Amino acid sequence: MVRLTSTRVFLILLFSAPLPTNAQTGNPYETDPRAIRAGGALFGARCAQCHGGDAKGITGPDLTLLWASGASDDRVFQTIQTGVSGSIMPSSAAPDLEIWAMVAYVKSISTVPEFDNDRGDAGRGEEIFSTTCTRCHSVNGAGGRLGPDLSRIATIRSRDMLIRSIRDPSASMAVGYRPVTVVTRDGERVRAVTKGEDAFSIQILDMRGRLQGYVKADVREVIREERSLMRQFGPDRLSDEELDDLLQYLSTLRGADSDRL
Amino acid sequence: MICCNISAHYAGPIPIAFEIPIAVGGGYVMLLRKFALLRRLAAVIALLASSTLGPPQLVAQNVDTSIAPDAGVTYEDILQGLDDPTRWLTFSGDYSGQRHSPLSQITPENVHRLVPQFTFQTGTTTRGRGFETTPLVLDGVLYVTGSNNFAWAIDARTGRPFWEYRRDLPDDLTYGASAPVNRGFGMLGDRLFMVTLDAHLLALDRTTGSVLWEIELADYHVGYAATLAPLVIDGKVIVGNSGGEYPTRGFIDAYDPETGERIWRFYTIPGPGEPGSETWPQDGDNLARGGGATWMTGSYDPDLNLLYWGTGNPNPDYYDEDREGANLYSNSIVAIDADTGTLRWHYQFTPHDTHDWDANQIPVLADLMIESELRSVVMMANRNGFFYVLDRTTGELLLGKPFTDTTWAREIGPDGRPIILNDGSKGCLPEPWGGTNFMPPSFDPALGMFFVTARESCATFVPQEPELILGQNTSGGVIWIDRDQGYGALRAIDVLTGERMWEFRYPSPTMAGVMTTVSGLVFAGDHEGNFMAFDARTGENLWHYQTGSRIWGAAAMTHMLDDRQHVLIPSGTTLVAFALPEDSP
Repeated sequence: MVRLTSTRVFLILLFSAPLPTNAQTGNPYETDPRAIRAGGALFGARCAQCHGGDAKGITGPDLTLLWASGASDDRVFQTIQTGVSGSIMPSSAAPDLEIWAMVAYVKSISTVPEFDNDRGDAGRGEEIFSTTCTRCHSVNGAGGRLGPDLSRIATIRSRDMLIRSIRDPSASMAVGYRPVTVVTRDGERVRAVTKGEDAFSIQILDMRGRLQGYVKADVREVIREERSLMRQFGPDRLSDEELDDLLQYLSTLRGADSDRL
Repeated sequence: MICCNISAHYAGPIPIAFEIPIAVGGGYVMLLRKFALLRRLAAVIALLASSTLGPPQLVAQNVDTSIAPDAGVTYEDILQGLDDPTRWLTFSGDYSGQRHSPLSQITPENVHRLVPQFTFQTGTTTRGRGFETTPLVLDGVLYVTGSNNFAWAIDARTGRPFWEYRRDLPDDLTYGASAPVNRGFGMLGDRLFMVTLDAHLLALDRTTGSVLWEIELADYHVGYAATLAPLVIDGKVIVGNSGGEYPTRGFIDAYDPETGERIWRFYTIPGPGEPGSETWPQDGDNLARGGGATWMTGSYDPDLNLLYWGTGNPNPDYYDEDREGANLYSNSIVAIDADTGTLRWHYQFTPHDTHDWDANQIPVLADLMIESELRSVVMMANRNGFFYVLDRTTGELLLGKPFTDTTWAREIGPDGRPIILNDGSKGCLPEPWGGTNFMPPSFDPALGMFFVTARESCATFVPQEPELILGQNTSGGVIWIDRDQGYGALRAIDVLTGERMWEFRYPSPTMAGVMTTVSGLVFAGDHEGNFMAFDARTGENLWHYQTGSRIWGAAAMTHMLDDRQHVLIPSGTTLVAFALPEDSP
């Protein structure tokens, strides 16, 4: 039974979709633009403080990656409703329809355009990947840790954005992968990506894959680098044809094989 | 006016220990030896005498709802501020809001030796926010409010609780306060006063945590809430409301500490036809839901008998098409006659605000020599990024200078209004959390320096007309924050010129408050979780301790205990106390 509170009455008037009788029937508002707009307002009021107005995360995680990482509407609904135990993410007593509206909103801004890629050869792309990229990037658990995991990258990023990231990696560097050079007291230069930082210390992953913490007062200098640790792959290093092959390979990836986990 | 819904309620407190620790008794002895004021001697002796017969503090035989003379804290005690170094009796330590302690055992030379004494775990988390309280301390007992309508009495020596109070959150609670936080107790006699997320004011028995009376401030179903630390003055408990993001109308209330009856109410948004209403559209119901919440503790000048209180944003926050005009008395400081609740003067920092730049920062009172004339002033480092000095008798603007790099405005015009340079069309503006916020600043009168946590940020405001629904947030828009363009800083401001004397930068915009001591120390916190001490003159960092959670909304307090100065900071779900090692000189 659905209890008709005043809030629900309002939502029924606002949205055209029928009331769902339970939370497991999928999102009734998935494509309803008015519900998505209302969900955006609710999101702004209740979630944006931690997850950001764009849902890309401030202190809470980036929610626009949820669907790409395999979450379903029902799963997101339940997480909002029950909260995350042991974290500051609270449970929500909001009516189901308000939660569905918020789910619809976040999903609407998470949608990545279809990875349109009819060119290239995935087999050749995998070879390029394994010879060129795996030192720093991993797929399904294999490969380096210095750069982002690419197991689902084509479900998260558009083809254009991936091309930009390969041709000019320094143009946009994700939090957690920003390059830094720590110059120790004895003059050693440690190149790394920044994993964390406060006013007095910095936490890094160095080029040798070691997690290291430094107290700023104990080092000579902390240099924030403008250039990504990833080299620029211009057409001289990676031809347009090779790029197509690589993108074709990446587009086949859908995350770790569940049998192996 | 007489208030309604007064009822007794004894179900709340959960007794944790029934035996009074020896240490507390020892505390009284120490009090007598070191600090007791003569006029309190009789009361202390009476307490000592009764403690030989059994634990006097924690066994309430019969809850006596009258305030016995000479029992507990008097108005005169609060008036003396921090003169008694064992005490911290009101939110900012005293009525001035300076949060400047006369204690000097911890100095720039020895502060690096501070070590934790205890960690108190509240066991209750806060949705997306902080542990924002300032503990009060009296006779070796800390009185602490927490998130989600929790409160405790804690042994200041061990961190062990005497009692825990918890008021259940209603299932249909509206989050008018944006987050389920609380900023602290007020205290008078043997009573504690606390506001609640469901917009009530409670009087608790200090020794048991039992509710003596409770009254409803306003209807939480609409979006009213309350989070501030009540300000106790002579015969009155002063409180205000949260909920300015909801269709509410802000107010400041005075209540009788003995009975809970309302003595007066000042509405921050005028009624139709009242002065100030001309700054709103004349048609429509804007005034009844105009916002102007009063969600932080104000300051008090006992000589002028004036309360100084900050007011919040007009409602809706970002969407302004139905509220043409300056929208008085939103985003203002109001000077209120403490006897009658009437407005003496006001100054509006951000007329017609569309960025949620509430003026609920702590008003700081001081007497400054300005151009060879001693002026009684009130200072505020405002959320709009400006530092203001006003004559607190008349409200005259004496100084208005930006303490942030905001592009919104860089100077105040002759009419007292900021000269707007960028309404958002020429690049990003400080985000809604502002150039600073409600986290307390501090003022060192000897140095003439005002210390504030400044926030530099970059946001784009996208207003949208909100649906006006009782009990629902009506901010009216979405804010896009560029996280790559933000940092925080502890800044020292010369109060005579508004010039920046020094700053210490934090990696990200920070919401932690500040406290200073007469020994020349500034205690501050940051978003990365550091609790820190700085040299007040130079800004040099002298000590830091990683608390493990961002320090948010809270500022430190300090008190003497067994001849040792303690410094306390709330962080995350913990309250941590620090002192020099016992073998310290």
